Amino acid sequence: MSLKRITKELNDLGRDPPTSCSAGPVGDDLYHWQASIMGPPDSPYAGGVFFLSIHFPTDYPFKPPKISFTTKIYHPNINANGNICLDILKDQWSPALTISKVLLSICSLLTDANPDDPLVPEIAHIYKTDRAKYEATAKEWTKKYAV
Amino acid sequence: MAYSVKLSDYLDGDEDSVILEFESDSEIDELGEVDEDSSHSYSEVNEFSDGPSDKKDTGGSRYLDADQKKPSWGRGLTEMAYESSGVPKLAYSCLTTDQMFDLILARLERIQPIFEISYGDIIVMLQKYGWSEERLLEDWTEDQERVLVSCGLKLATSSNRSRGIQDHSDFVCNICCESNKQRTFRLECGHEYCIECYKHYIKDKLLEGKIISCMSCSLALKNPDIDAIVGDNSSQTLMRSSIKGFIHKHNNHYKWCPFVDCNCVIQVTNISALSEFPRFHLSPFVVCNNHHRFCFKCGLESHAPGDCQVAEVWVKMAQLESANLNWVLKNTKECPKCGVNIEKNGGCNHMTCQSCEYEFCWICELPWEGHGGGFFECTRFSKDEKNGATETKNSLRKYTFYYKLFSEHENSSKLDWALGLAVEQKVRALQENIGISWIETQFLPESIRSLIEGRTTLKWSFPVAFYSDPSHNLTKIFVDNQALLVSAVEDLSQLLQVKDPHDIIARKLEFYNKARFVQSRNRALSECGRDLLCKRICVPRG
Repeated sequence: MSLKRITKELNDLGRDPPTSCSAGPVGDDLYHWQASIMGPPDSPYAGGVFFLSIHFPTDYPFKPPKISFTTKIYHPNINANGNICLDILKDQWSPALTISKVLLSICSLLTDANPDDPLVPEIAHIYKTDRAKYEATAKEWTKKYAV
Repeated sequence: MAYSVKLSDYLDGDEDSVILEFESDSEIDELGEVDEDSSHSYSEVNEFSDGPSDKKDTGGSRYLDADQKKPSWGRGLTEMAYESSGVPKLAYSCLTTDQMFDLILARLERIQPIFEISYGDIIVMLQKYGWSEERLLEDWTEDQERVLVSCGLKLATSSNRSRGIQDHSDFVCNICCESNKQRTFRLECGHEYCIECYKHYIKDKLLEGKIISCMSCSLALKNPDIDAIVGDNSSQTLMRSSIKGFIHKHNNHYKWCPFVDCNCVIQVTNISALSEFPRFHLSPFVVCNNHHRFCFKCGLESHAPGDCQVAEVWVKMAQLESANLNWVLKNTKECPKCGVNIEKNGGCNHMTCQSCEYEFCWICELPWEGHGGGFFECTRFSKDEKNGATETKNSLRKYTFYYKLFSEHENSSKLDWALGLAVEQKVRALQENIGISWIETQFLPESIRSLIEGRTTLKWSFPVAFYSDPSHNLTKIFVDNQALLVSAVEDLSQLLQVKDPHDIIARKLEFYNKARFVQSRNRALSECGRDLLCKRICVPRG
């Protein structure tokens, strides 16, 4: 059942790709995808391309997919291992959500970080107290790792 | 000396529960009067009574329930309650999840006339309002319509779509992406999915105890919807699970038992007493129906003789240091004589090397000879070992020493639980094979309970010893008391290894005496530790 749903999502992505994101299976295994997100223009990540790995659980879509960044990124809600702190990937997941919607949510997380619920408290602290420093570091990391 | 007089005072107590299980052999209570002139703060403490069982509504059923459902060896020492002389006493009861749910229902019953909607819907609203009845009532009186919409019980705009199960001939479900679906479900919002997907979705969420909403929007499914989809009365499971949120919100009054797989809820009825405990360096220990003893304040297992502060500082320190120490605390030890690796797989610390038959103590690795009776050198940190090392290295070594003891006893108590299960079987065997009545076999579970509690106290006495001023006389007394409890516990632990049922019955009195001795040593050590804290000889610092 999950295979049918994943196949449909793949077809939909091909037919109507969302702006600034792309995703598809890594090899023959439909449960393991790779995705890429373009850094949003109004963010310090602009110009970078960020890669993510997506693993579908066997009971997808009733359980959320496991998504993590494989490109290093400086962000209060994304840690050094690429894990993302996003409610819809955890308890707010709904079977009606799709990979395309999740990727768009991650895009908007890049534009608007959520420093009040941080995964990396140090970055969140800088984000809140010295925004300019945060943006400079984020830009630097983008240039270093994502261009 | 005053202290040794005090010790005899601690021999009394907990006969309430004992009488339930024994045909009372010699009771050793009422040995001592309280020293009138003693300035010790525990001199005010002259009564140990059975805390929970004196509550009328829970007393009897508490024991009955537990005996029917759970191994009877897990039952706790009776609660120490210091009700006289202004020392705080916690009034509490242990509830099962069913009783907890009844309690919530009773609360709902009280407010239901205001809302005039079903209990299920009120629970949805309360969950949305974080179980704050006040806030909900406030908003409700202001604007009912708005509350219903915000809680997902009603659509913001009226809709002419019907709610419930729909029949189709060829429906394509957007969740599973299968076609030819016949039966679907939708709420007034119109988000429609096949019944199989809805069923899967709901079943996953029943135990979370949170509001189940439409898969695409926040419109809530009501109990009749859930039952119609799943085809049974699953909504009851959901309603019962919702107590998790309730307890979380009211965690001043209610706490889950922290032990694995224990579903007991402790309800404290006089929470104002809680703030009184730290002043006396006491901790509000509670015992659940399954006889797990834990601290209501910090949620840790019973950490007497230390108070919550000792436990907190120690646990924090252990987390910081454990990475360095893990390698020190391997699972095996080398035999001190022949060097073969030995894994400890039973509760007793009396080890016999399988290869060279050398008998030694697992803790200090010294010959077992001389361990049987009096003092244990292995509970003392020997200052002579220092020989000129730097201060930090010494403090780390001191910490390592105590942490090692702490975790040795932690491991031993884990093995004791396993031993407890074995004892449970022994009891059953005794009943079946020799035809001894249930009541006559109760000395075994009683013994294992004393053993576990003794071991837990011992374990938590090492943090107290670590933070205490080693030069003070009372610390020395404390260490001696520790040694006495170690010896009592090891003695009992060894006795519990006896396998032959006839032998067990023949030595009943021995079991009983040794268990009572562990209990009295346990109380003595707890009180001595509290004295160290009260006199600020033991000062926990991070």
